[in-house]
Amino acid sequence: MRKFGVFVVSLALLAACGTDSKPEAGPVELRMTVWSANEAHLKLFNDIAAEYKQSHPDVSVKFDPIPFDSYTTTITTQIAGGNGPDLAWILEGSAPDFVDSGALVPLDDTLNKTDGYDLDDVTAAATKLWKHDDKLFAYPFSTSPFGVFVNTDLLKRAGQASPAELVAQGKWNWDAAFAEAAAVNAKTGKAGLVVRDFDYKTWDNLASVWTGWGARAWSEDGKTCTFDAPEMVDAMTALHKAIFVDKAMPGPGVAADFFTGESAMTITQISRASLLTKSFGWDLVPLPTGPKGKYAVVGQAGLGVLKKSKHTEAATDFLAFFTNPANSAKLAQYFPPARKSQLTAAGLAKGNPLLKPAQLQSVVVDGIATGVVKPSHTGAAELSQLVRAALDPLWKPGANVKAVLDGVCTAIDPQLSK
Amino acid sequence: MTAVLDRVSQAPPVRRRGFWTARRRDHLAGYLFIAPQLAGTILFVIVPLILVVWYSVHESNPLSSESEFVGADNYRHLADDQSLSGVLAATGVFSVGLVVLNLALALLLAVLLNQRLRGTVVFRTLFFSPVVVSMVAWTIVWGFLLQDNGGVNGLLDVVGVDGPNWLRGDATAMLSVIVVQVVKNVGLNMVLFLAALQGVPRELHEAARMDGAGPWRSFRSITVPMISPTILLTSIITVVGSLQVFAQIAVLTQGGPGNSTTVLVYYLYQQAFQFHHLGYGATLSLVLFVIVLVLTTVQWQMRKRWVFHES
Amino acid sequence: MSRRAKLAVYGLLCVFAIPFVFPTWWMITSSMKPVNDVFRFPPSLVPTRFDWSAYHDVFSMQPFARQYFNSMYIAALVTLGTLAVASLSGYAFARIRFRGQNALFLFVLTGLLIPSEVTIVPLFQMFQKWGMFDTHWPLILVPVFGAPSVLATFIMRQFFITLPGELEEAGRVDGLGRFALYWRIALPLSRPALGAVGIFTFLHSWNLYLEPVVFLSTPENFTLPQALTQFVDAYGGPAWGVQLSAATLIAIPVLIVFVIAQRQFIEGLAHTGLKG
Repeated sequence: MRKFGVFVVSLALLAACGTDSKPEAGPVELRMTVWSANEAHLKLFNDIAAEYKQSHPDVSVKFDPIPFDSYTTTITTQIAGGNGPDLAWILEGSAPDFVDSGALVPLDDTLNKTDGYDLDDVTAAATKLWKHDDKLFAYPFSTSPFGVFVNTDLLKRAGQASPAELVAQGKWNWDAAFAEAAAVNAKTGKAGLVVRDFDYKTWDNLASVWTGWGARAWSEDGKTCTFDAPEMVDAMTALHKAIFVDKAMPGPGVAADFFTGESAMTITQISRASLLTKSFGWDLVPLPTGPKGKYAVVGQAGLGVLKKSKHTEAATDFLAFFTNPANSAKLAQYFPPARKSQLTAAGLAKGNPLLKPAQLQSVVVDGIATGVVKPSHTGAAELSQLVRAALDPLWKPGANVKAVLDGVCTAIDPQLSK
Repeated sequence: MTAVLDRVSQAPPVRRRGFWTARRRDHLAGYLFIAPQLAGTILFVIVPLILVVWYSVHESNPLSSESEFVGADNYRHLADDQSLSGVLAATGVFSVGLVVLNLALALLLAVLLNQRLRGTVVFRTLFFSPVVVSMVAWTIVWGFLLQDNGGVNGLLDVVGVDGPNWLRGDATAMLSVIVVQVVKNVGLNMVLFLAALQGVPRELHEAARMDGAGPWRSFRSITVPMISPTILLTSIITVVGSLQVFAQIAVLTQGGPGNSTTVLVYYLYQQAFQFHHLGYGATLSLVLFVIVLVLTTVQWQMRKRWVFHES
Repeated sequence: MSRRAKLAVYGLLCVFAIPFVFPTWWMITSSMKPVNDVFRFPPSLVPTRFDWSAYHDVFSMQPFARQYFNSMYIAALVTLGTLAVASLSGYAFARIRFRGQNALFLFVLTGLLIPSEVTIVPLFQMFQKWGMFDTHWPLILVPVFGAPSVLATFIMRQFFITLPGELEEAGRVDGLGRFALYWRIALPLSRPALGAVGIFTFLHSWNLYLEPVVFLSTPENFTLPQALTQFVDAYGGPAWGVQLSAATLIAIPVLIVFVIAQRQFIEGLAHTGLKG
C-alpha cells in the first residue's frame, strides 16, 4: 500500500514538472516544419533566415523537413502533444482544419504593419482558402500550378510530335496526350504519362486530370459528394482506359520516376523543376485541354504561426519577413507567389534560371490566374482515407467505373454532412 | 535436511529483533522483490486501462485542444460505423488464417525435423532465421518481392506461372500478409513443438507399432495428445499475437486495397493517430481487449477437454 | 526409414526452406546492386554489377549511426532492466511464501492479456503530460516494468520453481539472507532461463515499431525499424536501394550472432518451460 502512495505522489510531482513552462527571454530559436527535404530549397530558406538574423541577432530559425506522406498527421500529433513547431507549412487539403480550428495566429495586423509588405498585392483568389471570418490565418506562400514536364528525347525515340508543337497547333488535348504516352510505352517500354505523387493512393492529385472534364470531388460548400456525377464518371472512364487498355500510364505498383528518365511525361508542380538533370532534353507545357476546354489546377501551400508557440510574436515577425516582396521573388523559382506584381513571366524568369519565359507564362502565370485549387475539406485525414479505400476497386482491369464512384459517395456522404 | 529445518523453526525468536522476525523479514523481501513489477503493472497496465475507459467517453480536437465529455457517443458510433464490420471480418480472417497456417506448418516442420536425419540442424537454423531478422526489414523486403514485377512473380515465371499483383487484390493481399507473418514467426513455434516431440517417450510409439498401428494413427492417438499442452500454449500465444499484428500491415498494404487488410489494431491506429479521434480509438482499444480476453478464456477453459493429462 | 521416405523428407524441407531463405538472400544481394538492376524482371539471383552507393546514402539521408546506437542502447537497457525485474519477481513468486502471493501473481499476469495496442493511447497521453514525448523513456520504462516483462516473469518463475529446495536451505543454514539466497544461489543457476529471456527481450525491443512511431518525432531519436520506413526521396517516394541497404545493415549483425550462437538460442528457448 505504501508503495502505491509513493507512486501517486511521484506521478503528481512529474505532472507538475511537465506543465511548468514560461516563455524565455533572450535568444529565440524558431522551428518551421516543411515537407521538402530538397537541398536547393533548404539552402534558400537558410539564406533567408541568415539575412533575417543580421537585423534580428537574437532569432535563429530551424527548418524541420517532415516526410510529405505523413506531414499533416505528424504536425497535428506534435501540436496536440504540446510539441508543435512555431511555424508550419500547411497543405491546401487540410487548410480548413487548421484555419477553422483556432490553432493558428491571425496575421493581418502584423502583415499590415510591416513596412513595404503590401498585403493588397496578394490576390484574393489565393487567400480565399486561408481566411476565416475575414481574418487571414495562413499566408499562401506557394500557389503552384500543375504542368506537364516532357522528356523530349524519349518522345523523339518513339517518333512522337513534341507537345509544344501540338500546343502551337491547338491540338494538345487529353486524347493526344494519352495517344503519345501509349506510343512511348509500346515502342520503348518506358512509362508514358505519370501523375506524380498519385501512386494509386494520393487521389487528390488526379484533380489535375479530372478538372478537364469539369469534374469535382465535392460541391463548393463541401456538403455534397460529386464523385458520382457524370463529369467524374467520364473523366475516370477515360483515365481507366488509359491505364488498363491503352497502357498509356503505368499500372498500380509500377514505379516510374520521370526525373530519372523512366517516363516520357509527368504531371506535377513546377517546384519539382529542381529535380531536372542534364541527362535528357526536356520541356514544360500546360495541362492538355479536356472535353470542357482549357483549364488549370493549382496546389497551394500556406505558412502559419501556431498559437501554442512560445514565441508567437517573433514567429509572426519572421513570417512577415519570409514572405515580403523581396523574399517572395527569391522563393518564386520554386514556390510561385500570389503577388500580382510578381506574376509576370519576366519577373519570374529572373529568379528561375531553369524555365524559359514562355513556359513560365503559359504554365505559371496563366495557371495561377485561372487555376482551380485542389480539393480541401475539414476532417481531411479521415475523408482522404475513406475516398482512397473506396477508389481502390477502380484500379483493376475491367472495373465498373460507375459502381465504384457510387461507392465513393456512399462512403463519404456521412463525413461530408458533418 | 529436515532435521536442520526443525531445529531452525523450533528455535525461539531472537528477542532483540522484536517485530522483524525471520518470517516477517522474508515476507517483506517477497513484497520488495515484486514491487517493481507490481508498480509497473499498476502504472503501465492498470492505470492506462482505466484511462482508456475514461478517454472512450470523451472526444477531442487535437488542433483546438478541447476535450469534451460525450458519454456513450463513441460506443454508439461502434454500432453505426460502416467500416467496423469489415474491420472485424478482416481481423477474423487474418487471425484464423494465421493461426491455422502457423500451427500446422510449425507442427509439420517439427515432425520433419524430428526424423533424425542428417543435416536437419541446418534446416532448423534456416527455418528459425527469420525470427531474428528485424521485422520491418523483413516486411520491406517482402514488399519488394510481392510487387507485380518482383521476386515472387519472377520465381513463378520460371515455372511458367503468371503471378497476380499480390498486394493489389483483396484476397491476395490478405493472403500475402498472412504468409509473410507466418514465415516470420513459425520458427518459434516449430522449435517449441520440436522440443515437445522429443519429449514423447519412444516406447509408446514402439508399443503402438507392435499393436499394428500405422504412422498416421500413431501420430493422431499418441503424439498429438502427448504434446497437447504445448499445442494449447502456442495456440494461445499465437492467437493473442495475431490480434496485435501492426507493422506488417502498416508497411505492406496500409490496410488496403480498399479496407481489405485493415485489421482492428490498424484501424485503431488510423482512428487515434491519423484521424485524431482519440476517444473513438480508445473505444476500439476496449473492443480489442474484450476480444483477447474472451478468446484466451475460451482457450484456457478448453484445456480440460483437449489437453491430455498424465493422471 | 526407407530411401524414398528420406528423399521425400529432404525434398519437402528444401521446398519449404525457399520462402525462409530467399527474402534474406534477395535483400543482401539487392542492396549491392545498382537500383535499376533491382527491378529487372526476371530478377537475378546473383548481382552482376555492384554498386555500393546506396550504403553511403543510408548514412547521409538520416542520422543512421545515431539511430543504430539508439536501438542498441535501448534494447540493452530494456534487457538488463527486464532481467532484473523479472528475475526478482519470478524468484519471489516461486520461492518466497508471503501473503496474497497467488492473487498478486494473477494480478501481474493480467499484463499478458492486455496488448500494448490497447493501452497505447493513454500511455501516449501520460508520457506527453510528463514531458517525455519524443524521448526514449517510454520505450524503456514500459517494456521493463509493464506488460512485456510479464512473460519474462512468468518464465523465470517457472524456472525457479524447478530448483531443488535443499540448495537454499543449505544457504539458510550458512546464515544467508533472502536477497543473498537469490543473488548467490538461485540467480547463477538460472543462466539458461536468463539467456532465453534475455534473447526474447532484446529481440522484442529491437523490433518495436508501433511504440517508436507513436512516441518519437525527431529523426535523431528514431530507432531502426522506424528509420527504415523513413528512407524516402525528397518528395516522399520510397528510396528503394537505400531501404534495402539499411535493411541489410540492420539484419546482418543479428543474423551473424544468431548463426554463431544458434544452439544456445534455440535450446534456451526450448527449455523455457513453455512446453507447458
